[in-house]
Amino acid sequence: MMADSEPEEIAVIGNVDLTSAELKNNITNTMVEIEKSSTLLRKMEINVAEAEKRTGKNAVNMQETYSVYLIETRPVDAVTEGITPAAPDTLWRRYSEFELLRNYLLVTYPFVVVAPLPEKRAEIVWHKLSADNMDPDFVERRRVGLENFLHRVASHPVLCNDKIFYMFLTEEKEWKEMVYDTGFQAKADSRLKAMNAAFRVKNPDKRFIELRHYSDELQTVVSQLLRVRARVADRLYGVYKVHGNYGRVFSEWSALEKEMGDGLQSAGHHMDAYAASIDDILEEEEHYADQLKEYLHYTDALRAVCRKHELTQFELEMAAQDLAAKKQQKEELATGTVRIFSLKGMTSKLFGQETAEQREAKIQALEKQIEEGEETIKDKNKESDDFVKTAWLDIERFKEQKDRDLKEALISYAIMQISMCKKGIQVWTNAKECFNKM
Amino acid sequence: MSAGTPKSLASSGQKPIQDICHPLGAEEVAPAGLRTPSPDVGNATSSIGEKDLSLPNGTPVETSSPASSSSLLNRLQLDDDLDGETRDLFVTVDDPKKHVSTMETYITYRVATKTTRVEFDLPEYSVRRRYQDFDWLRTKLEDSQPTHLIPPLPQKFVMKGVVDRFSEEFVATRRKALDKFLKRVADHPVLSFNEHLNTFLSAKDLNKRQGLALLTKMGESVKYVTGGYKLRARPMEFTAMAEYLDMFSQKLGTMDRIAQRIIKEQSEYLVELREYGPVYSTWAAVEAELHEPLEGVAGCVANCSSALDELTEDMSEDFLPVLREYALYVEAMKAVLKKRDNVQAEYEAKLEAAAFRKEERATSVQQVPTDVERCQDRVECFNADLKADWDRWQSNKRQDFRHLLTGVADHNIQYYEKCLAAWESVIPLLHDKQPQEAETD
Repeated sequence: MMADSEPEEIAVIGNVDLTSAELKNNITNTMVEIEKSSTLLRKMEINVAEAEKRTGKNAVNMQETYSVYLIETRPVDAVTEGITPAAPDTLWRRYSEFELLRNYLLVTYPFVVVAPLPEKRAEIVWHKLSADNMDPDFVERRRVGLENFLHRVASHPVLCNDKIFYMFLTEEKEWKEMVYDTGFQAKADSRLKAMNAAFRVKNPDKRFIELRHYSDELQTVVSQLLRVRARVADRLYGVYKVHGNYGRVFSEWSALEKEMGDGLQSAGHHMDAYAASIDDILEEEEHYADQLKEYLHYTDALRAVCRKHELTQFELEMAAQDLAAKKQQKEELATGTVRIFSLKGMTSKLFGQETAEQREAKIQALEKQIEEGEETIKDKNKESDDFVKTAWLDIERFKEQKDRDLKEALISYAIMQISMCKKGIQVWTNAKECFNKM
Repeated sequence: MSAGTPKSLASSGQKPIQDICHPLGAEEVAPAGLRTPSPDVGNATSSIGEKDLSLPNGTPVETSSPASSSSLLNRLQLDDDLDGETRDLFVTVDDPKKHVSTMETYITYRVATKTTRVEFDLPEYSVRRRYQDFDWLRTKLEDSQPTHLIPPLPQKFVMKGVVDRFSEEFVATRRKALDKFLKRVADHPVLSFNEHLNTFLSAKDLNKRQGLALLTKMGESVKYVTGGYKLRARPMEFTAMAEYLDMFSQKLGTMDRIAQRIIKEQSEYLVELREYGPVYSTWAAVEAELHEPLEGVAGCVANCSSALDELTEDMSEDFLPVLREYALYVEAMKAVLKKRDNVQAEYEAKLEAAAFRKEERATSVQQVPTDVERCQDRVECFNADLKADWDRWQSNKRQDFRHLLTGVADHNIQYYEKCLAAWESVIPLLHDKQPQEAETD
């Protein structure tokens, strides 16, 4: 498709031939879980139908090229009941808008393991694969990844009900303003704050510590796996491609021979076919890598939940500490004893006792503060409890999803390997027949 | 002979070992020495004729044998021989053994013979021979049968340290090559009746004169160089042969390089695979539900790795040596072609001289033609032998490469079948826990 400066127009053009692509996408959607009837994905069909290159001016007025993705939505009823399927609603989104959506979700739902986006830049790929962001294969893989992301959110029991998410799918123009109007940025916790909390929490929850530990391990092992897999792919590519040279040499050699010629010549063709077959095999395998990559990036989401928990825990502990300090102060004032050395104790000793009124007023102020503090603790406790409860629920959901997905991924990987072996057997059997005729 | 004596003295360093291995001593020294034609040591140009003249003399034993009486007859029998129905000489080279003495370390191979031929006193022989002995045999064959293509021996590898000559792999590969060499000689309708082969197969001790043989070889190579002038009427077929050999050896070289490259790529692939599998195990260790599936994949990758290892080994042990044998074969064939050209050149020169003399005076017509005729006979004999050997070689080559390449295909098929079995065995492991999830397969 040609680049166009007017998004609406493109959207209209995009409407025309979508149904077939849509159906195809639908089949690939089976990967995504379809949860209880309440999820959005049950009611709405969501596809990222195509990607397109655009050129425009960025914030600092520099020319830049970027990709936009066409999101199509339509009510499921129309499809299932076969009543003249209405043309889907379509709109274009940039990758950065997906990022914004995800950030909003992360901040708004700190207890949810929010699905990651596909990688912005191709990482840990084997050498043949282009690392260019505009590479058609990469854009296509990202399209699949973005669709997967939308399906994950749309099928999530909590996230699917989010209004901003719904707007993301349906309102092209004012959506960005709406997101910023939620003021989610103000609620975002700084990383520094979280880091601080992580080091100072006194009574960390064992489960979250384990989860954090697990996500670290998962990240390490999956990234190592991806790295080695890329090298394995590189080598496998080499093995196949070098066989292609036999194709040439057999063909040249066949010209010298009489009886052997024909057999050699056709065996050469099979060697060519063998060398060429690796391209498809490895391209398909890249899908497996993408599935693993999703879980590599999921580890960040897991850690975000852990961080949020630590922060909540830290705030609770701080409040408790504050309250304890106030209580002690009050006690000191009431009994007139100073248990621990303090500056206040020193001054009162040096400059004489305060008047009874002053003391009374202070005690009263402290009592009020203590009351407030106790209220805060109650709140914080509830907040923390709620957080743990909801977060753990989602973590359990995530674990189930992960086990299911990865099993699926391993199965499809094994199937890929099986089909590669079968192809190999086929090619060599054909070649053998030719050799036998020599 | 004066040059030969110090040489044989020099090589007498191995004599004590020879004595140890083969107690039957130096009785045959004299006949062996006599048998070596002295012209070989002599000056190059004059010896061409003499040496080649000695051809019929050099094979007196064979005249009685059915095979060498007429090379034409042989040619007709060639196809039958290939079928193995008329075979009456079976040889095998096996059981390599290492010999260590104070002087040197070397490997001997058992050469076992079974035959019904009357030229042999016994129906079965078993002797031990080392590489040098095979080399001796080949030199003898080359000398006594100059019009025939002598199969090549595996490369010598004199340079120490480049190859570990006592490694199991090296010895196994060499044994195979020596076995091939000897079988090719034994299957040849002319060479198999050579008395030196008989000696090689049956005598307890060879009493070979390495030094002399070496000199002979050098003398001959000098002759080839001098004979390099353009022939007046080389038959087209021999030019075609030479061209074919050049092209073919080029293709062999390319295939050799490709095969080596594949072996290298496969070894590197293997290194990565051996790292890849264990990562799945590491992962399995941190998972509960996924533990088994991941371990399954790890085991599967390990199985594929060992299948790949076998494949690579088969390639380097079965495929490469044959390519190399044929590269050497091409060289041997080229040498025979050169010899043929020399013989033809001599004939042409003599014919020219005769024609010139004929013009001068017609009286001596009687004398010259006999010489020219003899030369012509030799050329025709050579041509006939060479063509027969060429056809035989072509047919052998076709069989060998058919066998070799089908073997390569088989090895690859087996490799993929092993991998296939491994991956298929993993699928139920992945499905087990959630059978309702069973998807496409």
